[in-house]
Amino acid sequence: MDLIKAAMQDVVLGQDFLTWLWFRSEKNGWLFKTPDGVEFNVYLEQRLSVRGGSGDNVEKAVVTGPHAEFTEAKLGLRNGKLVDKAVLRLERDGATWMVLLGADDFSLSGLKTPKIETRLEEGDDPDAPFLEKMMLVEQCVEFVDELYRQFLEVRLSTNWTDELRAFRSWLGEQ
Amino acid sequence: MGILSASGSFTRYAVVEELTGQLASELPERLARFSFRDIDDTADERSFGWVCLEDWLDSFWRAAPPEKAHYMAFSLRLDTRRVPPAVFKKHFLLAVKHEKEAMKESGKTFITKDRKQELKDQVMLKLRTRFLPIPAVFDAVWNLRSNRIWLATTNAKVRVLFEEHFTMSFGLTLEPMTPYFLARRTVDKSRITLLDDLEQSPFAAQ
Repeated sequence: MDLIKAAMQDVVLGQDFLTWLWFRSEKNGWLFKTPDGVEFNVYLEQRLSVRGGSGDNVEKAVVTGPHAEFTEAKLGLRNGKLVDKAVLRLERDGATWMVLLGADDFSLSGLKTPKIETRLEEGDDPDAPFLEKMMLVEQCVEFVDELYRQFLEVRLSTNWTDELRAFRSWLGEQ
Repeated sequence: MGILSASGSFTRYAVVEELTGQLASELPERLARFSFRDIDDTADERSFGWVCLEDWLDSFWRAAPPEKAHYMAFSLRLDTRRVPPAVFKKHFLLAVKHEKEAMKESGKTFITKDRKQELKDQVMLKLRTRFLPIPAVFDAVWNLRSNRIWLATTNAKVRVLFEEHFTMSFGLTLEPMTPYFLARRTVDKSRITLLDDLEQSPFAAQ
């Protein structure tokens, strides 16, 4: 386990991923599909932060708002900043998950799953609420992992330059 | 923060080594062996260890067992005694004052560096017995099928403590599921080396 290499590459991969995800989700009409055809929606909303520079010259812009257009954050992208934290809203079949994903370490903050029933009735398995909650929590990261897998697919392919070109024209449209 | 809370923060890990059947059967016993020990009646600065997920006052899993379907669920309890710096400063100054008064009788005026350190240690120890430790609890869930772990915090210090105590308890290593490690587990083997040399993409460049 090379922790030094990881610390360097975590930032590169994590920020590239979230920056790409913002663009890709808008381009896709917020719709993604798993390889076995399950459709789910991904929205970046409420809070997004962009970061640029390094060492003592790090500059950050945090943009918040319920249905923010993130104009300031897009301005940041044009100036070379990249997304370093974003609230993702994931939806499937009417169920909603929210999570603040950090680019540098993929920390999952404020993860909200669809509501579960915690009151038990007689005869219920006492572990039922726990098991349901874990299933929902794991489902959330399965979506995030799938998005990351799709990102890596294109990021490590020769199509990445085309993807960057498409990104720039998306950024230019705003 | 409980797993069942409406919202929670998490760090994910993969266990590097495979989980053998033998070890899987030993997990409850190892949890108990490395469980939390109370320090309310001592002067210890901190104590940490595993407790029951359903009842963090329970280091013996009397309230509920850690096994839940294909999960092992437990909590890391960390109790820390904090003596506020201003309180320590006051009592240290008092101790120095007393020391000087006592020295007057023997005609000395200078307190050596070593003696000052000794006074500091004594004051800290005395004060610690008067402050109750502050407890904190962090849930952990081990999915035995995927051999992945969920820790309900993103706090860096707690993460380090958890990783070390986990290795100590089970003899297994945790790999954090950060972008790099997750990518290594996601992409095809032939492309793993590409990950080491990637540079930040010029998203905005013309």
